[in-house]
Amino acid sequence: MTSYWLLPPLLLPLAGVPLTLALRKYPRSQQIAALLVMFAALLSTLTLLRQVLRHTALTLQLGAWPFPFGISLTADLPGTFMLTMSHLVLMAGFLYAAGSTEKVTRYPTFYTLFFALAAGLSGAFLTGDLFNLFVFAEIIVISGAALTANADEPAGVEAAYKYFYISTLAAMFFLLGVGALYAAYGTLNLADLARQIASTPLSPLALAGLAFLAVTFFIKSAAVPFHFWQPDFHAAAPTAISAMLSSLVVKVGVYGFLRLTTLLFPTVSLLKTLLVLVGIAGVVYGGFGAAGTHNAKRMLAYSTLAQIGFILVGLGWGTPFSIAAALVFAFNHALIKAAMLMLAGAMASRAAVKSASFSVVVGVGKYHPFAGILFLLGGMALAGIPPLNGFVSKFLIFWSGLDSANYLSLAVLGLASILTVTYVIRAFMRIWFETNPEAKPKAGDSLLAPALLIALSLVLGIWADPLIVLAQTSAQWLNDPQNYIRWVIGSG
Amino acid sequence: MTESILLLPLLLIVLGLPVVFLLRRMGLTNPKAGWLLSTFPLAAFFILLYAYTLLPHGKPLFFRLPWIPSLGLNFSLYLDGLAALFGLIITGIGALVVLYTGYYFDDAHPTRPTSGETHKSSLEVRFFAYILLFMLAMLGVVLAGDFITMFIFWEGTSISSFLLIGYKYKDEAARKGAFKSLFITGGGGIALLAGCLFVIHLTGSADWNTVIAGRELLTNSPLYPAFFTLIVFGAFTKSAQFPAHIWLPEAMSAPTPASAFLHSATMVKAGIYLLARLNPALGGTDLWFWVLSGFGLITMLAGAYLGSKQNDLKPLLAYSTVSQLGVLVALIAQQSEIAFKALVISILAHALYKSALFMAAGIIDHETGTRDLRQLGGLRKQMPILFAITSIAALSMAGLPPLFGFLAKETLLASATHPGLPPIIDSLFPLTTVLAGALILFQAAILVWGVFLAPPADPKHPPHGHDPRPGFWLPPAIPALLSLLIGITPIEPAFLANFLADSAKAAYGAKVKVSLALWTGINVPLLLSIVAVSLGAALFWQRNRLRAALMTFLPDLTVNRLYDWTLRGLDWLAKTATHLQGGQVRVYLRVIAISAVSLYLLLGGFPPLSLLPSPQWNLHGLNGLRAFSLVIMAVAALSTIFLRRDLFSVLALGVVGLSVAVWMALEPAPDVALVQVVVDILTTVILILGLNAIPRKQRDRANELLHSRRGMTRDWFVAGIFGLAVALTTFTALELRPRESLVSPYYAENAKPMTGAKDIVGAIVVDFRGSDTLIEIMVFGMAGVAIYTLFHFGARKPGEASTQETLQTLPARMPRGIYALPTSPLLHTLAYVMLPLAFLLGATHMMYGHDQPGDGFTAGVIISLAIAMWYIVFGYQETRRKLTWLNRNNLVATGLTLALLNALLGVALGEGFFAPVNYGDRLSLPLPPGFSLSSAFLFEVAICLTVMGAATLMIDNLGRIREDENA
Repeated sequence: MTSYWLLPPLLLPLAGVPLTLALRKYPRSQQIAALLVMFAALLSTLTLLRQVLRHTALTLQLGAWPFPFGISLTADLPGTFMLTMSHLVLMAGFLYAAGSTEKVTRYPTFYTLFFALAAGLSGAFLTGDLFNLFVFAEIIVISGAALTANADEPAGVEAAYKYFYISTLAAMFFLLGVGALYAAYGTLNLADLARQIASTPLSPLALAGLAFLAVTFFIKSAAVPFHFWQPDFHAAAPTAISAMLSSLVVKVGVYGFLRLTTLLFPTVSLLKTLLVLVGIAGVVYGGFGAAGTHNAKRMLAYSTLAQIGFILVGLGWGTPFSIAAALVFAFNHALIKAAMLMLAGAMASRAAVKSASFSVVVGVGKYHPFAGILFLLGGMALAGIPPLNGFVSKFLIFWSGLDSANYLSLAVLGLASILTVTYVIRAFMRIWFETNPEAKPKAGDSLLAPALLIALSLVLGIWADPLIVLAQTSAQWLNDPQNYIRWVIGSG
Repeated sequence: MTESILLLPLLLIVLGLPVVFLLRRMGLTNPKAGWLLSTFPLAAFFILLYAYTLLPHGKPLFFRLPWIPSLGLNFSLYLDGLAALFGLIITGIGALVVLYTGYYFDDAHPTRPTSGETHKSSLEVRFFAYILLFMLAMLGVVLAGDFITMFIFWEGTSISSFLLIGYKYKDEAARKGAFKSLFITGGGGIALLAGCLFVIHLTGSADWNTVIAGRELLTNSPLYPAFFTLIVFGAFTKSAQFPAHIWLPEAMSAPTPASAFLHSATMVKAGIYLLARLNPALGGTDLWFWVLSGFGLITMLAGAYLGSKQNDLKPLLAYSTVSQLGVLVALIAQQSEIAFKALVISILAHALYKSALFMAAGIIDHETGTRDLRQLGGLRKQMPILFAITSIAALSMAGLPPLFGFLAKETLLASATHPGLPPIIDSLFPLTTVLAGALILFQAAILVWGVFLAPPADPKHPPHGHDPRPGFWLPPAIPALLSLLIGITPIEPAFLANFLADSAKAAYGAKVKVSLALWTGINVPLLLSIVAVSLGAALFWQRNRLRAALMTFLPDLTVNRLYDWTLRGLDWLAKTATHLQGGQVRVYLRVIAISAVSLYLLLGGFPPLSLLPSPQWNLHGLNGLRAFSLVIMAVAALSTIFLRRDLFSVLALGVVGLSVAVWMALEPAPDVALVQVVVDILTTVILILGLNAIPRKQRDRANELLHSRRGMTRDWFVAGIFGLAVALTTFTALELRPRESLVSPYYAENAKPMTGAKDIVGAIVVDFRGSDTLIEIMVFGMAGVAIYTLFHFGARKPGEASTQETLQTLPARMPRGIYALPTSPLLHTLAYVMLPLAFLLGATHMMYGHDQPGDGFTAGVIISLAIAMWYIVFGYQETRRKLTWLNRNNLVATGLTLALLNALLGVALGEGFFAPVNYGDRLSLPLPPGFSLSSAFLFEVAICLTVMGAATLMIDNLGRIREDENA
């Protein structure tokens, strides 16, 4: 019955949705309940991770239907790795929301929608079924769009509209892809699909399905040139939410590629080449975009384009080492980006007019030196400067590129890295070094959540081994799709 | 465990950091804090010295802790002569600088530094903390035992140097200088990291021993030029080699203690240390020789030349540092014993005199308020002690006997005239050295002359100042005195000589003999030295003319323009990148469409043409009804594009949906058809309500844009390429897919026995793939909640009354329909009748849906549509008043809770999560035939409740706006 350990990380956020909706008239209890439920979810995820490490993968056939006729939930190490990352950051997000001064966090349905987002993320990393992944992606889209539309920021509605529009497009592609694969193989279960795809030569229909799925995941992970919805959307979202969107939601797309390249279509090398190319485009475009924008949150949103690019390049190189590096990168980036967006938002909440625009937050840091230390540390992490976890990510990616002799793409990554230093330090100097007579001491969003995230980044930068071991083991699991297939089938 | 002693110096500095903050609590003054804090580096100095004496003969101490065992990376420390030389300089000068800092920021003193901001009387915690942080990083660089540990500390020096340069952050020059140094050294850092990884990749280990042992492997590798370039680039940016030197003069906006420490004695030498450290591993190749010699000599000359043009004491000293760094790099290039002897002597000599000079410059600034040669002069009498200190240090810098600097220059000249040098370099090296030596002597002379000896440059405003307290002048006095003592001591200090020999050995890779005797007889170096001194003296004699000429005629040689261009280029690209993000969805859509379809064609390719000739047009199933619905579908679909009013387009879209339903019904898939019908109607209702929420003007404008020529072309294009991709896929699917799917037969076979459902659609939706449904109703529920939140909170204008308030303030009035139109009593009756009927219908759907077409979803939609009718017939307020029991949010919450509990109940009963359980049978309840109280039924109820809640949330909120406007 160990496989029931799979359920709480998914069910707790799911249960949080009706629970907080029912408590909507009692803001205080709603907030406490939300924090408790999310904390319980985090604990259950950590327990699940322990279980997975102890027993190999866990699989649960929902409804106890025999494989492959029902839906399988599968917690293998890579999925649990992503889940752990999500729940850590989600917990921070809930904490930030609880200490936030933004009006939207006091709306009675805020936590309901937030839990829906959390549930979508948890489900996406746990499901072993392609169509099930689709519905979880849907709930992420609707809740993310809803939360952003309700942001204090006036641009929220427009940004949410763009996101929703383009995500609907992605959903259409997703359905087309699922449909094509279902038409070709008559199954939706990932393990079953993988087994069947591997057993016959690739049919044009399977390739069409792959193409649609690739487009879907490119849109979801905000890969250039499918990224257009992202800077607007992530910059306009309420801070607590934008921290989740930029650190976790885009990782669903990355996770999709993880499964596509290792489980479903490990033989299609063209896909990997594409990932490298698109990743590099993201690294370059995101870096320049971040350097060129005039808004701290928007800068961090662009920076996500670049960081996702690094991860996609790692996946594209496709060696176990580079996949491990990409996983470490993804995990660390989630912590760093969430913390940085929270800090940017926290400073915006302390500005004379609530805005993350540099012209407004300039000099606001004068009265908040602690936030400055956090921002500088976070910025160093983002730029890959030791002793923070971002350094570990960067040098693993570099090293894995060297190991697989991808010198050219590595050179681009290296050159683009200097951009990160540039924009991060410029932002730091604008907020904390420059002077602004209009900046007044003012209370704002609580700094607890970003402080915790930065502390974790520091710990993971110094005590980096456990995460790397996890990622390496995950990469080994990914490298052997037969294993995954056996686990899922064996449980059915 | 003697190795672990290497941790101690680092730990001591770390320990100093919390002490700084502790001292602030105690309210100590800056000088006292300086005295106290300087004991930490001082203790570290002695521990290092002690550790050095522990070195077993020729063997370095090596300490390691596993850091990332899975990658074979360690945190390791390493002490040999070279590391000890740098470590002792860092901690020794560091202790003096910390002491000096205390006085530099002392406010009790009557005069204040004017070049900085006025200081608060509180302790300069930040500065002390930064300088200790820097010391930690720098000490780490030289004590590191492997590439990765070294790199970690290396980046630490960049960051702490950024903080120190930007210390007076309100000053724009400080900010710019800080950014510039970080940009350049950070860029170098990335190159260095890549280079290190290459080496680790090749040798399989990061630690110095292995790397040095892997010399053959490394120098013969085809990748050698690549990682050589990367590593050397990193070292050059750090050690300010031309043309990367430009950050150093601007770094002078740092407070003087930082400049004295970082930018003369320590940080800029990190690159030198690295090159010296790697010389045994990577050196000796032609590439190494030419690149290092070339850059070293150019830097040597450029620094000396640029320094001669400066008026400000600190940039003058900074440029002479640049020149000296060039010397050191050029020395590392040579593979001769004498060069490495010169290297270690120069490093020590330079550290001593340059730190003394910087600190003296800081005192001059502090006491007189200026560092500009054009305002100074004649201070000899006012500041005799400082005059003595500065003179000694300057003489050492000029390379005159009997100072230590003389020895440094002699050995340098000796290596410059080494017979082993290849052509070109054998003439260039001595020539450059003589020229640079003359210029440096000239600088030292104008420094001492301009500040102390010459009459005040501006006689109307002669500088005022007097010697500071001993604590302030002691830090520069000690290194200056040492420069003198090492030079004049009659007995050669054997310990020092052996120590330097040991350091040189580590860098050279073989034994080096070092003697510290100044007089080595009349030889070529001495003659060259005399030439250099005479030249320098001549320059000094003509100083005014020379400097005037230098300032007016000769170029600045700065490559700042290159830096500016680089940054401007980056900014331009950045602007362009953000401009690509124009904000218009239609543009985004086009780019995504093109990318997606090309990706589709690239990955999936065109379907093989061999499939084309053989489409089997199966027309025999096409009867009249099918053909009719097909035509309707096509016509309606086209109308959505051509109809000019959005309302009509929406209606046409509804028709498309209904004709799809007809096809479904004929297929026969009555279940799907039924769902399709209700969904289609609901969608149409919601869309129409949504349209009404948009102001008329905006709708008209959008229509206009959509139906313009450009708009139409654009839409045709996007629709066309998407259509192409979809058509290709459909075609391929029809041709290639297996006729039987794997899972369908299973569902058909097991639906009835296992779930009790006759039709497989119901079984799939509620049982086999129930969790999809659960999430989908949650999506629907969240859509309802989202619309509710948006209209009630997010989009509410400030000051606007909430729904509840509006409802309470409005007077009761006669029922009027939507848009406040009067509605007939007949319609009222119909609405009254419809609602209970809908409930009844819904209930049967849920109870018997498992066997018959219809399910919880349909039930929910049917009831919602009946409620929607109330909204239309009775109007918004009236409906709200009448249907008080309709709590929409609670319906969603209840539905979702029920669904989850129902799924969990299966676990509790041991059947599994979401497993079908027939409670009726379990409890043997008497139930009407055809109805079973099962988990499926409960799930249907949950679905119905959620859908009802969500749909009415949408109708309620979308319906409100327009009415408020009319009311």
